[in-house]
Amino acid sequence: MDQAEAAEKIIDALQKKQKIKSKFYFSDLAKILEMKPRAAKPFINKMVTDGQLEYWSSGSTSMYGLTGTGKQAAAEDED
Amino acid sequence: MAFVSSGYNPDKPMENRLSDLGPRKYDEFYPEVIKNNKGKWLYHEILEPGVLVHVSETGDEVFTVRAGGCRLMSTTHIREICEIAEKHCDGHVRFTTRNNIEFMVDAKEKVEPLKKDLESRKFNGGSMKFPVGGTGAGITNIVHTQGWIHCHTPATDASGPVKAAMDVLFDDFKSMRLPAHLRVSLACCLNMCGAVHCSDIAILGYHRKPPLLDHEYLDKMCEIPLAIAACPTAAIKPSKVDFKGKELKSVAVKDDRCMYCGNCYTMCPSMPLADTEGDGIVLMAGGKVSNRISIPKFSKVVVAFIPNEAPRWPKTTAIIKNMVEAYSNGANKYERLGEWAERIGWERFFEACELDFTHHLIDDFRDPAYLTWRQTSQFKFSK
Amino acid sequence: MAKHETPLLDQLETGPWPSFVSDLKQAAEERAKNEKGIEYQIPVDVAEDLLGVLELSYKHGRTHWKHGGIVGVFGYGGGVIGRYCDQPEMFPGVAHFHTIRVNHPSGKFYTTKFLRELCDLWDFRGSGITNMHGSTGDIVLLGTTTPQIEEFYWELSHNMGQDIGGSGSCLRTPSDCIGSARCEYACYDTHAICYGLTQEYQDELHRPAFPYKFKFKFDGCPNCCVASIARSDLSFIGTWKDDIKIDQEAVKAYVGGEFAPNAGAHAGRDWGAFDIQKEVVDLCPTKCMKYDGGKLSVNTPECTRCMHCINTMPRALRIGDDRGCSLLVGAKAPILDGAQMGSLLVPFVEVNPDNEYQAIKDVIEPLWDWWMEEGKNRERIGELIKRQGFRRMLEETGIEPVPQHVQEPRTNPYIFWKEEEVEGGWTRDIDKFRKDHLR
Repeated sequence: MDQAEAAEKIIDALQKKQKIKSKFYFSDLAKILEMKPRAAKPFINKMVTDGQLEYWSSGSTSMYGLTGTGKQAAAEDED
Repeated sequence: MAFVSSGYNPDKPMENRLSDLGPRKYDEFYPEVIKNNKGKWLYHEILEPGVLVHVSETGDEVFTVRAGGCRLMSTTHIREICEIAEKHCDGHVRFTTRNNIEFMVDAKEKVEPLKKDLESRKFNGGSMKFPVGGTGAGITNIVHTQGWIHCHTPATDASGPVKAAMDVLFDDFKSMRLPAHLRVSLACCLNMCGAVHCSDIAILGYHRKPPLLDHEYLDKMCEIPLAIAACPTAAIKPSKVDFKGKELKSVAVKDDRCMYCGNCYTMCPSMPLADTEGDGIVLMAGGKVSNRISIPKFSKVVVAFIPNEAPRWPKTTAIIKNMVEAYSNGANKYERLGEWAERIGWERFFEACELDFTHHLIDDFRDPAYLTWRQTSQFKFSK
Repeated sequence: MAKHETPLLDQLETGPWPSFVSDLKQAAEERAKNEKGIEYQIPVDVAEDLLGVLELSYKHGRTHWKHGGIVGVFGYGGGVIGRYCDQPEMFPGVAHFHTIRVNHPSGKFYTTKFLRELCDLWDFRGSGITNMHGSTGDIVLLGTTTPQIEEFYWELSHNMGQDIGGSGSCLRTPSDCIGSARCEYACYDTHAICYGLTQEYQDELHRPAFPYKFKFKFDGCPNCCVASIARSDLSFIGTWKDDIKIDQEAVKAYVGGEFAPNAGAHAGRDWGAFDIQKEVVDLCPTKCMKYDGGKLSVNTPECTRCMHCINTMPRALRIGDDRGCSLLVGAKAPILDGAQMGSLLVPFVEVNPDNEYQAIKDVIEPLWDWWMEEGKNRERIGELIKRQGFRRMLEETGIEPVPQHVQEPRTNPYIFWKEEEVEGGWTRDIDKFRKDHLR
């Protein structure tokens, strides 16, 4: 799988779930790619630096979301 | 307050970005005497409370003066530490795991001036800036978490109760009269981001009320599935509520399943937990992490609840002081608080420390509970 | 004149122990004066407002902070904790007050040059308020606004060559004891391995891909000064295999009262003359010591290296020379199913910087692979071991079971046999059975 294909798969899958929730665990993303977690990680890292995914953290755990989505993102917008 | 750019370009965040540098390498920070003698130390001695000497096989000696510090510290205070370190220690200083500050010198005659300097510095309010102590069979600094100064789920403050407790325990910071060292720790909620569960005495903030539900805003502010998933006991479920004649999406909390952890509040600001009467302190005792003589032990709950009594938590500190005295009077040399309690029996511990025993102290949480009940006919009658 | 009245906090200024309230007040004053002419990038009265909001918490008995999901700098999933004040109009200086964790150096040794640079940067781009240090070990910088985070990181990395630490589902900033830098008990160089593995696993530290947090802590000996056995998912505890080295002359000096026992730790009370039999030999948990005719001996194979005799007579007894560390897995605080200590997985492993700690990495990486695949969200590895079993961990790491793994063998016979362990397997022929057993 190349990066573009991985990104498309993840973006598609996450967009379908936006009505329910906007944050996902790393393992959810690895499952979308049907890869072992360590194999999936470089694709997911790249999606973050490409600006497609962003992190969200409770401080103790971390989640991923499509950039700019989610109710808290709006609430925390400081501009 | 004009914005000053560092050179970072928000439009191209990856341009010239440095990442994965890690920490600076430790050895660039070592004082000369440490650099020269690392791995060659033969033995150490505590010359007096707060002053240690380590002797190397090269014949070198390093003298350490340990001063108590607040973990919450301003840059003003750090600069004062720097000033002292530059004056006495060639610009080197270190911090300990328990938030003490260690000043090291390479000759004995440098100890007294350093110590005098440290002990002479006082804050405007009158407290000491750098009390020397915290070694050997005494009480060293209390490790703690954020509390009300910076956390969203604390059930008590951290810096305040620590200040109040250390004032009460101060003589034992400055002396070494106890049977063994005694470690006090504080975590401001049950998530224990400061792991206090293996301390001789642990001060733990604890909530006793399930979260409030701000139904009007809940679905606007929060993603309900995330709030539900955050609950470790599955006490939250989706719910439709009637709000001023309108049906709103929200959640319901099964109150008797809630363990008051605040994880839902982390995910959902419409589920605040803090409550003046509900929140307070649990005291635990008898834990240790060292493998010395007996194996490491968890702390046990010995006081189920004490209300928050800001600003000085007098009941909490009085009970702690009482426990320390009972331990000091009862334990054998080298015996940690938990070893003492086990030797005399916990039923005697409650007598010795004048603590009430209530049903709250009998474990009823999941599997490990059974292992803490008494499965023998051997016990001591209360006096 | 202070911006907010703080009658409750003021009561924490008296008493001997250093007062954080007095410190915050002096910081507020210095910031207000601004003698150095700093172009503050966040409000000048941040320390005043922090005292104000804390005073309000003292009055209410409740916190006034909210969590925010902000996580760090671009490309990193950790190192920054978002915080917002729930009374932003009363305390605008701390309305947005995010924490930055800075990865501390091994052993927490500093030069004042480094500390001063960090202070300058934090005064300029943040509140000037810190924790030295946080529970995990990081330097914690308390309070700045969102736009300053990238700017701070840029200067921290470009000007100081220094990185931020971990938070969230990452490898958390590893930490260590003082080790051989200044301790004769250290069985390995805690600073070197702490630094080495922190560098090796930068990706794991900054880009969260674990089910939950994972902590390394390095204790140089079984005294466990950084409490690794209680609070790290992978605890490294220094140990040795050969004889405790005994200097019999020094033993005599302890017996004769020439040297104070326990390095003088008990000097604050008259405990009477040192009694080697009572205080050392009889307290030995395995009774492997003898003091006979003025000579101390240790039956090495029976010794469990609890450190008591060495702690008590540091000038006479020294750790052995065949040194390494034990690896214990799965410690955690009580939430949720109760607290766990680390469980012994590797009794002894060499700590070899020359091959970049390969023997240790050979344990770490299979553990991570297993946990990343099988761990539930927010499940610590200690909980996974409980859920899937210790045997599963052994299989995943390729470690052979040894009696050292248990305190005692199981007390129930409910062994879940694997089919291949049982002769002939589980598929049987009912007709063949019926030849000998009627219906």
